[in-house]
Amino acid sequence: MSEHGPGVQEGFEGAFDGEENGTPVPVSLARWDDPHMQVAARDPKKTERLIMTCFVVGILGVAGFGAVFWVSPSPNYYWLYGLTLGVGFFFLGFGLTAWGKYLMPQGPFVEERHVLAGTDEERDAMAAAVVQRTDVVLRRRGFLGALLAAGVAIFSVVAVFPLLRSLGPLPKKSLFTTNWRRGSLLVDVNGTPVHVDSMVVGGIQTVFPQGPYRNDPNQAAKDQTVLLRPNDSAVATGKDLPKGRTKWVPHGYIAYSQVCTHLGCPVKLYEEQLELLVCPCHQSMFNIRNGAVPQFGPAARPLPQLPLMVDGNGYLRAAAGYDQAVGPSFWERTTHPEWHW
Amino acid sequence: MLRKLVRSRFFLPSGLVVVVATAGLLAFGPHAGASGSPTPTLYGTDASVHHRSTPADCRLSQGQYGQTGTFNAGSPFHTSIRAYEHGCLVLYGSPYIKYALPSSSLIPEGDLLFQTYCSTCHGPQANGPYGIAPNLQGLGPATVDFWITTGRMPAQSLRSKQAPEKTPKLTPHQALAVAAWVNSLLPAAPFIPHVQNPNAANLADGASLYTLNCAACHTITGAGDALAYDTYAPTLHNATITQVVEAIRTGPANMPRFTGNLTDQQVRDIAVYVTTKIQKPQNIGGWGLGGVGPVTEGFVALLFGVGILMLVCYWIGDRS
Repeated sequence: MSEHGPGVQEGFEGAFDGEENGTPVPVSLARWDDPHMQVAARDPKKTERLIMTCFVVGILGVAGFGAVFWVSPSPNYYWLYGLTLGVGFFFLGFGLTAWGKYLMPQGPFVEERHVLAGTDEERDAMAAAVVQRTDVVLRRRGFLGALLAAGVAIFSVVAVFPLLRSLGPLPKKSLFTTNWRRGSLLVDVNGTPVHVDSMVVGGIQTVFPQGPYRNDPNQAAKDQTVLLRPNDSAVATGKDLPKGRTKWVPHGYIAYSQVCTHLGCPVKLYEEQLELLVCPCHQSMFNIRNGAVPQFGPAARPLPQLPLMVDGNGYLRAAAGYDQAVGPSFWERTTHPEWHW
Repeated sequence: MLRKLVRSRFFLPSGLVVVVATAGLLAFGPHAGASGSPTPTLYGTDASVHHRSTPADCRLSQGQYGQTGTFNAGSPFHTSIRAYEHGCLVLYGSPYIKYALPSSSLIPEGDLLFQTYCSTCHGPQANGPYGIAPNLQGLGPATVDFWITTGRMPAQSLRSKQAPEKTPKLTPHQALAVAAWVNSLLPAAPFIPHVQNPNAANLADGASLYTLNCAACHTITGAGDALAYDTYAPTLHNATITQVVEAIRTGPANMPRFTGNLTDQQVRDIAVYVTTKIQKPQNIGGWGLGGVGPVTEGFVALLFGVGILMLVCYWIGDRS
């Protein structure tokens, strides 16, 4: 660590304390009694003892690391590895740095260098020679240059191929539709269908459409639907929902898409008494009473609602698919002719 | 002597005091071992208003949120085990969790405790007539037991949006007594849960169920999180296993109820996961920083780690 020059004098104690030693002295002129040659420490013996202590602690640390490694404690004590190694390294390094700062000649020393640039005549002669030779080189080896240029040109064309082929398939219609259809059976994450009597009032569940796509995470990610059975009878009858949706909420069940319309996180935080669905990522809050219209937060559009119906055996099914694309906005979303959102 | 006493001017007031005190003690004071009739309470004298003792009145009602339907997992009529006593259902459940009704001998004590600590807000019939506290009838004994054993009730302040967890004012026995009495007004499920064989729980299933259902509000480390409008999901680090099951099955305050879709086995897995892995996390780094999340950890790393490094670098490069 010491950047000072050679010629270390051991333990030279003088009266100088370094205030007049700001100007560098050339290395070749420094002698043993020069004030620059003194150590920087005011009390070198005390400093030496301090550094010795640091080294002892460092030795204990690294030796302790070995001991912990040998003993192989349970994972609750893994922090001992870090502690011992960290203490060991820190104090060894601290001691070494202090040695270099306080127990070495404090300098500063400077080494004079000779001029590196050549004389004017030398420079002119070199320039002329380079120009003359280069001309010959290029003319005689033109064919090589042409081949190199061809290689670079072909590479620049080929480099575009991964950009065209390897970005994956275009999403096409998959962004606009989910797997929910009229008659899709609501099943939970284990595949169990949801009976109309199975959820108590105030409950919440994530449901998917029954089918082979339930095990595909990409399909499940957009199909995920949150099923609620709110406590409030006004919410349950759906009288505050947008027009035409009173039949979408049989027996007090309401189903919304769980993909947040802001940036796509699953909206699973259900505050039952506040009638809010909260998204954990950026805290968009959707009011379940009036069709999941966002009441707070960065979401700009309400969560799409899934119309529900009860089949002959009492199981909940979708009465239709979603009437709009689920999830965050994308460019082509507004060009669909039937959707107003 | 007696003539002197009767003629003194303190005779009449002291005599009145003695007479009134005796009358009061006879009418309202504690009676030892009244059999067949309940202990008279400090408020009101009509015993039939507070206590029903006929077996026909222990038939379970649908409850405030339909918790006794046959299809919801955790309902008494969905489970395989049921036990009756004097025609009343006193125990139901599965090999994973058993739900027991508090003994009816606790009802008089619960009545007295409720009238002392709870009736000023919830009303003497526990049906919240004043509009400042909700109706407790038809919620099941587990609800009352949860709120009292976690210390949230009796509430300290009516102005706070959410009653905080604090040191319980009633002992667990007293909480059971209050639960027994409230339940006797309108019997409903769920009863007090007792987890069976917690060591046999599947922690991996518990972890995935917790992540799916609970981590959204309570965070993955169970540290609790802020929610909307001054409400918050509390930390799980102080909950007993019974309180976890009660909270899942009864859905206190803003928490939704998971009675319909989680079986007893799944609830046991979640509860054991909470009381083992969440409450006793394996902080391999030594200090969990409360498990609050990456912002805290980044703050500590930047402030202490990078700060110390900067100071050390300054020291190294400093001209001595």
